Amino acid sequence: MSPARRFLRTPEAVAGAILLAALIAMALVALLFPGDPQAIAGPALLPPFQDWSLPLGTDRLGRDVLAELFHGARASLAVGLAAAAAALAIGSVVGTLAGFAGGLVDEVLMRITDAFQTVPSFLLALAFVSVVGPSLGVVVIAIALGTWPGPARIARAEVLSIRERDYVASARAIGMHPLEIAFREVLPNALPPVLAMSSVIVAAAILTEAALSFLGLGDPNRVTWGGMIAEGRAVLRTAPFLSIVPGIALVLTVLGVYLAGEGIVETTAVRRGLS
Amino acid sequence: MSGFTISRRKMLAGSAILLASTAMPNFGWAQTPKKGGRLVLAADSEPRNLNPAIVASNGVFFISSKIVETLAEASFDGKDGLAPRLALGWEGAADGLSATFKLRDGVRWHDGKPFTSADVAFSALQIWKPLQNLGRTVFKDLASVETPDDLTAVFRFAKPTPFQLIRNALPALSSVVPKHIYEVGKIEDNPANTAPIGTGPFKFGEYKAGQYYRLTKNTDYWGKDEPYLDEIIYQVLPDRTSAASALEAEEIQLAAFSAVPLADLDRISRVPGLKVITKGYEGLTYQLVVEINHRRKELADLKVRRAIAHAIDKDFVVKTVFLGYAATATGPVPKNDPQFYTADVPTYAFDVAKANALLDEAGYKKGADGNRFSLRLLPAPYFNETKQFGDYLRQALAAIGIDAQLVNNDSAAHIKAVYTDHAFDLAVGPPVFRGDPAISTTILVQSGIPDGVPFSNQGGYKNDALDALIAKASETLDTSARTDLYKEFQKEVAADLPLINVAEWSFISVARDTVGNIANNPRWAVSNWADTYLAG
Amino acid sequence: MIRALMLLRRRVVGSVFVLLIVVIGTFVLLEAAPGDAVDAYIVSTGGDAGMIELLRHRWGLDQSELTRLANYLWALLHLDLGQSVTFARPIRDVILERLPNTLLLMVSATALSFGLGSALGIYAGARPGSARDRFLSIGSLALYAVPGFWLGLVLIVIFAVDLRWLPIGGIETLASDKTGVDRAADIATHLILPVAALGFIYLALYLRMMRAGMAEAWRQDFVLAARARGLSRRRLVLAHVARNALLPLITMLGLQSAQMLGGSVVIESVFSVPGLGRLAQEAVASRDTPLLLGIILTSAVLVVVINLLVDIAYAFLDPRVGAGEAGA
Repeated sequence: MSPARRFLRTPEAVAGAILLAALIAMALVALLFPGDPQAIAGPALLPPFQDWSLPLGTDRLGRDVLAELFHGARASLAVGLAAAAAALAIGSVVGTLAGFAGGLVDEVLMRITDAFQTVPSFLLALAFVSVVGPSLGVVVIAIALGTWPGPARIARAEVLSIRERDYVASARAIGMHPLEIAFREVLPNALPPVLAMSSVIVAAAILTEAALSFLGLGDPNRVTWGGMIAEGRAVLRTAPFLSIVPGIALVLTVLGVYLAGEGIVETTAVRRGLS
Repeated sequence: MSGFTISRRKMLAGSAILLASTAMPNFGWAQTPKKGGRLVLAADSEPRNLNPAIVASNGVFFISSKIVETLAEASFDGKDGLAPRLALGWEGAADGLSATFKLRDGVRWHDGKPFTSADVAFSALQIWKPLQNLGRTVFKDLASVETPDDLTAVFRFAKPTPFQLIRNALPALSSVVPKHIYEVGKIEDNPANTAPIGTGPFKFGEYKAGQYYRLTKNTDYWGKDEPYLDEIIYQVLPDRTSAASALEAEEIQLAAFSAVPLADLDRISRVPGLKVITKGYEGLTYQLVVEINHRRKELADLKVRRAIAHAIDKDFVVKTVFLGYAATATGPVPKNDPQFYTADVPTYAFDVAKANALLDEAGYKKGADGNRFSLRLLPAPYFNETKQFGDYLRQALAAIGIDAQLVNNDSAAHIKAVYTDHAFDLAVGPPVFRGDPAISTTILVQSGIPDGVPFSNQGGYKNDALDALIAKASETLDTSARTDLYKEFQKEVAADLPLINVAEWSFISVARDTVGNIANNPRWAVSNWADTYLAG
Repeated sequence: MIRALMLLRRRVVGSVFVLLIVVIGTFVLLEAAPGDAVDAYIVSTGGDAGMIELLRHRWGLDQSELTRLANYLWALLHLDLGQSVTFARPIRDVILERLPNTLLLMVSATALSFGLGSALGIYAGARPGSARDRFLSIGSLALYAVPGFWLGLVLIVIFAVDLRWLPIGGIETLASDKTGVDRAADIATHLILPVAALGFIYLALYLRMMRAGMAEAWRQDFVLAARARGLSRRRLVLAHVARNALLPLITMLGLQSAQMLGGSVVIESVFSVPGLGRLAQEAVASRDTPLLLGIILTSAVLVVVINLLVDIAYAFLDPRVGAGEAGA
């Protein structure tokens, strides 16, 4: 059975994939939404389903909640993917270097990794964003800063087992530069278990972004779901839809990422096991 | 949609009625105050230094004004808008070189020692003038304080100082602390700064960081039968949504300083047992201001500044950002000020077409993308409303082809960016009007202020005529002549727009209807609460 | 025992370097921040140029960064965390006041997520692939997808405001003068909602790990053998399958401690719990560098100690693990 068919036979994975597809569709439709989602479109605090030109109503300043929701999908997705990519990239490079070089380099890199793991990552992100000032890029870096040690450790462990293998020894024998061996031969082979973490990291990044926005540390020039909840919570009881709608979007997205990610990991793991 | 607007309007119009109607069934205003009880209220910040003589700010007064008293308090009906506290009478000399205060007899400090003129002299000379954030400006020419007897203090000034200014400064700047406590050691390190000792109706009880401040009744208070309450507890609730929940859950009985978000007031006013009170902050008016960096060549052009002023729909701001709990502004003195305000100033009606025309005229044509130029816009983070107005202003500027990029900073970073580094083009700030333009208002437009002074003109604006006007007013002793000069000042500011005044607002209290004698003076939240009581 | 001691020594030496990196990193980060403690302070007061200079001098902010870092490290060597500029009190006292609250919150939340998570994990993993297994695993995942602050807000609205069963926040009834059992009960009621908000999120982690570990264990020889011996299913699950799956969960406990501490920042903020997380937020906002350093150092030490305990526990529970492997 091909991995794709196996994936399709797992209801959880399919549900996750559907959720993700919906999210991506939202983000793409947002690209087609011309104009500024933060433009004032109608009277403030219009409840949903009252006016069909503004189906989900408006927020405190009269901005269209539906347009915000679509644009928020883009921001959440962008932050999640970018932060995860950055964390995985830093993690696998550091892990590969540490595992492959060994000795003092390993010791130093691992102590730095320890240091980052010792500081609660959310606290680090909070301090970093407060210090540098909130913008989408800064939030991405802040999240990546707290997330890379996990992948780094896994990459290192994987590299440690790979570096003694035959093909590495033969690469050494033909006189390849150690860095070249590390990144050409070892890293690609160490990646699969690291990549298996990506869905968890993407999901965590989306949640962290939301929590940062909740504490008022989101990018003010972009709509994010976390930011929408933060704005809505002041009127949580007067206009609960303002926090509930983006909250549900957030939960469904994160759930979709988990389920689809798990489905992919399981199907590919089985394949690897069989081959 | 229309149903919604109606309910909003009805609510605004009815807020005064509402106050009375929800209050009436439980107690009438004439009811005799009841003694005893513990008042629990929300505090959203935790000032570390509770000495109001050093830190004259509302955050500190909110707690310490019940412990440490001033010479006089603001009043709705008293002469010159004042009511006596530690001073019974005050008079300025015609030459502006002295001011005499007659003090209250029989007042004792919380440690039992008698209060005398020596305490006033010490506070004024050793604390207000050299150490106090606002006193350093107002009392800068204070040379000495004579104490001919225990109940008389005569302030001597090196240069003529308008008595109107001194009088207007009394409620906020004249907190008297005990000499015998502070004359030992460094004033800044005195333990009484965190556990204040005063003459007020309440004594400092304890402070549990992150949890509460407890004040207890001063049984030896000079006011007859006062205070009514046995205890005041300030519960620390830093999260802005928790005050409303705590009120509803009856864990607290009062949330002052708009601790309940404006958008939640409509709903909470309908909760049985709770009342929304808009009075009691008349003496603490905040101004919503667009600060302008005149170093930007586009903004140095008066036409561009006027265009921006025309682009702002002040009514929309009052209605949407402040939900009606504010007033549109015309100039640097708020409309509710009884002494200085004038409406006779140039105004800028909301007119997008005119704003666009002015910008075209100034030579900033729209580019292919519809933009004329880009700006950095820094809304101050201290209030929800300043941030929301920042969001609105970005949209308002987009409508006239100015692309504003919002920069959000936390408080420290905002202060540094705007007032030290001048790394802004437009900023949204909430300066406070403190009863006299000379205390903290003229500094917003005056030139020659060193870098790094917060809430001052750091936009590089310089107008010799305006500077001369400010200087002249500061040495004019005659009250009506001085008042006229400040009216002139308002006209000039509104005409030349060194900054744009958008709105003026104050705070809202929400209380259980058992709390009595709320909002009975213009600085109620930061007054001594000797007559506040709990019924039933 | 000797092995444990060696492990201890190795970890302590390594930790000193880790903590040094943490201190210097935090210091550099906060120094790079726009605005200092005086800028943060002046927001609520205003003041003229002379007053600002006065404050900078009093708080030692007119010294160079290097001097301040050196002074800090020197004091630290004497186990002195220094003086908080905003609290005007020794940092040790400020932190010690808050630490118990955070510890209480963390330990209770961990106990909840670990206890309930592994119990449900065993329940689900006892019959892999069954309806209850799927339901629990997806249900817990959905819970894991809920932002903690959001869950907190919803819990407050339902249980504190509408039903009024529980207090809306804080750690105990204010100035109540309760003592002994009464006070403990009071604190416990205050902790229910924040612990639920924090603990339920991490529940999925342990549940799914337990489940996955059990799935693995079902396939192992000794389980098959025990099965062949005709052991009752209940005994099989508890004595063999679950027990084997428990070890990785204990490692997770150590790894999660730092995350739990981070998660409590938001929860403490939502529930007004006077703990370290909220203190850290205040320290960042007020640019109180020595205070933030003290907090991060305290939490780092906490994390190091927890991991050390976990390692030692692991070394005792699983004889296969040597002291060498448990390092790095």
